[in-house]
Amino acid sequence: MIRDAAGRLGFAPSLAIVISAAVIVALVSITSGAYPLSVADILSVITSREASDPVASMVLLEVRMPRLLLGFLVGAVLAVSGALLQGLFRNPLADPGLIGVSAGASLAAIAVIVLGNTWLGGWLAMTGEWALPIAAFFGGSCTVLLAWRIANRFGQTSVATLLLAGIAINAVAGAATGLLTFYANDEELRSLTFWTMGSLGHAGWDDLLVGAPFMLLALFVAPWLARPLDAFLLGESVVGHLGYRTDTVKKAAILVVGLGVGAAVAVSGLIGFVGLVVPHLVRQLLGASHRVVLPLSALVGGTLLVAADSLARVVVAPAELPIGLMMALIGGPFFLALLLRTKVI
Amino acid sequence: MVLSVNSVSVSLGRSRIVNDIDCYLRAGELLMLLGPNGAGKSTLLKAISGDLPYVGSVRFAGRELGQWRPEWLARQRAVMPQRVEVNFPLTVEEVVRLGRPKTASVGSDPVVDQLMSELDIGHLRHRLVPALSGGEQQRLQLARVLAQIIDSPGDRLLLLDECTSALDPAHQQMVLELVHRLAKNQGIAVLAVVHDLNLAAQFADRLLVMKAGCLVHEGSAREVLTPDLLEAVYGFTARVIELDEGYPMVVPRRGGLPNAYLAPGNPSCRQAS
Amino acid sequence: MIFRVVAWFLLATVFVSSAQAGDPPRVVTADGAITEIVYRLGLESLLVGVDTTSGYPEQTESLPKVGYLRALPFEGVLALKPDLLITSEQAAPEENLDRLARAGVQVEKLPSAWTPKAALERIESVGRLLGSEERAVRLASDLRSKINRIQQASSARGSEPKVLFILAAGNHSVMLAGEGTAAAALLDSIDAVNAVSGIQGYKPANREAILASQPDAIVIAESTSGQFEIRSWPEVERLDAWQNGRRLVADSMMLLGFGPRLPDAMAAVNEVLPAPSNVAANDS
Repeated sequence: MIRDAAGRLGFAPSLAIVISAAVIVALVSITSGAYPLSVADILSVITSREASDPVASMVLLEVRMPRLLLGFLVGAVLAVSGALLQGLFRNPLADPGLIGVSAGASLAAIAVIVLGNTWLGGWLAMTGEWALPIAAFFGGSCTVLLAWRIANRFGQTSVATLLLAGIAINAVAGAATGLLTFYANDEELRSLTFWTMGSLGHAGWDDLLVGAPFMLLALFVAPWLARPLDAFLLGESVVGHLGYRTDTVKKAAILVVGLGVGAAVAVSGLIGFVGLVVPHLVRQLLGASHRVVLPLSALVGGTLLVAADSLARVVVAPAELPIGLMMALIGGPFFLALLLRTKVI
Repeated sequence: MVLSVNSVSVSLGRSRIVNDIDCYLRAGELLMLLGPNGAGKSTLLKAISGDLPYVGSVRFAGRELGQWRPEWLARQRAVMPQRVEVNFPLTVEEVVRLGRPKTASVGSDPVVDQLMSELDIGHLRHRLVPALSGGEQQRLQLARVLAQIIDSPGDRLLLLDECTSALDPAHQQMVLELVHRLAKNQGIAVLAVVHDLNLAAQFADRLLVMKAGCLVHEGSAREVLTPDLLEAVYGFTARVIELDEGYPMVVPRRGGLPNAYLAPGNPSCRQAS
Repeated sequence: MIFRVVAWFLLATVFVSSAQAGDPPRVVTADGAITEIVYRLGLESLLVGVDTTSGYPEQTESLPKVGYLRALPFEGVLALKPDLLITSEQAAPEENLDRLARAGVQVEKLPSAWTPKAALERIESVGRLLGSEERAVRLASDLRSKINRIQQASSARGSEPKVLFILAAGNHSVMLAGEGTAAAALLDSIDAVNAVSGIQGYKPANREAILASQPDAIVIAESTSGQFEIRSWPEVERLDAWQNGRRLVADSMMLLGFGPRLPDAMAAVNEVLPAPSNVAANDS
């Protein structure tokens, strides 16, 4: 029987289902795109070193492959970050986008783009090609910390305060971004367009090289937090009673979210709703234990983003929809439905 | 001595909620903390749990609370807060297992099964916690808390904050009998905040009475539960009947509330004692 | 690595030679003005795709759109199997242009043409890239003589009238053109000056700044026809230049594209500029 005693899909069968879905979506993604490539073309590229059609090999190996991997990583990291935040805040509506983490990360990145050759010249010289991800990481972490401080002012997490704080943080970050845009020159504006829309359209191996270490680190650290995060679901004081160092757990989670979302934003711009939709779905189907939610959110998040990206590049071919737009189209109504179904927040 | 509390005071903001409390607890002893609303019982319990900063000294098994490694302390001391709200779809069994040591997480755990059946939640093991009734949730939390320490060696301490407030009389009896049995058979020291004077009379080895942040009385049920003291501490008049079972029973009188309740003065330790 | 470079090189030469061999080249243009040039040269049959800034002439509607000039998709462009992509310096992202080049597409980024001279050179460049240099040179010299006539007229004016240049982009969004814009370059080409100073690029319009600008003429560039509603801008309506009819409302691509319609743009703006006596009267 594939259902467990609680009537939910068991961990092993759901893992099998999700992995098969991921493989299918990956195959679809690798075979679909504006440039026509048949399965035979793809097989010939994979099997023979000396590809019969060098353009096919380039489309496959230098464009679709890195894009697939980057999309999967970004989706996985955003979903896991969402799951971490929801556990930490004990609220299913927490999301890197909603509480302003993504906005903070992108503000920092945009600051590097616009002020890179004036005020922040030293930063650029110091960090080189890592300037964007590191800045985005700091931006992201600081915003999580800020949201946390505001929402926890009176010793208990107030969800209303949290969401309101998110609105305020988003507004302030948006204003600061607008200000930077105002002073940006034409060339800088070009880079900014990409940030605000969210896109995987430029993804290449170099993006993967810069972003993947941060994102993989975040993905590998997250499972260590599964048990203490389960304790968080019972309340912050219970975490300490169960023998976990509450502050350490909190800081680790905030760091992981900042790291992951920062890197994701650095390589793909603002992509919303993955962190909201995916963990929620996983919890509905498989329960709230983070030992299940974290790994499955990663897989489902990656799969969802790759699927959305595949769709984004074929619906208006030969042009492409920004992936951020695509996710907002899927996630917006979902969020609304979630709000309507949640009786008390 | 499993627990010794010396001159502990707790302040929240500018007001002092708990004022210079001393108390101690031996292995196997069941100590119940009484007092009117706002007396500082829960605050004292939170200080002893390490949830609130305090002045003074709290020693558990001879060692200052702050010097314990959290993961070791969790195996020797368990805390049941007044309210635990679970909004996420965890199952009953998952929550009870949260109390178990990390190593015991795979396969079935006889301790978990045993506790769930003793607290009458075995049939709920696969139910989702947010859908349970208040009483079921309270028993579940007690099971989780007991799972932490029940099979640990050495000194053990159980801190309970109103662990029977949502239970029907039968379950109240069942839960406190279990706690009592664990204290007597396993030597677990228990400190429990309770409101029900008759349950306290029935199960406690010793009672502590707090008012306005101070310890105002300490002793056996027969010494503490007297009409005079009840009137001084709670401000109501009651009859106290000595039962054949060997403990007293408190029967409040109708219309027995004094004017003090209508116009409460500024309470202080001296007035009460 | 070296092997791969050699492979790409061979690939590129194969493509170029095949293009020269017989079949007409397949061309994608990504820049409105460049697309216009291709149409003016009568070479539109070569086009297999354009970007979203290419909206003139109307026939562009029937061509596949590869997206926005500043977010060109790699596969989208490649799927049209072009031999040649002609675009401008504004094209992005760099990664995709680079990949297209490596996939054997000849990618030509022409410099932005913000002087009549550069605009004519760009026409000749496009002609050369499409193998119709002669036709392009002829078009350019034709346009050059028109431009010269207009410039003679404008320099004969002997004064530099102040022009308020407004860009109407959205419903209520109106921008003032400042320094370093195509608008400023257009004014410069007919010896006019910008009535607002101290602005870099296009910045949201400040109603008081409009009143203070005291222009001799007003030019409004619309991205779609009828976008600018004078009723929403009483400050503009109150200006003497507007009252006296020294105003021009025209398509922004025509005014600012610096394409083959540049002489039309220069003539249209020059027409609403005041005659020398009027300028003097305004100055006094």
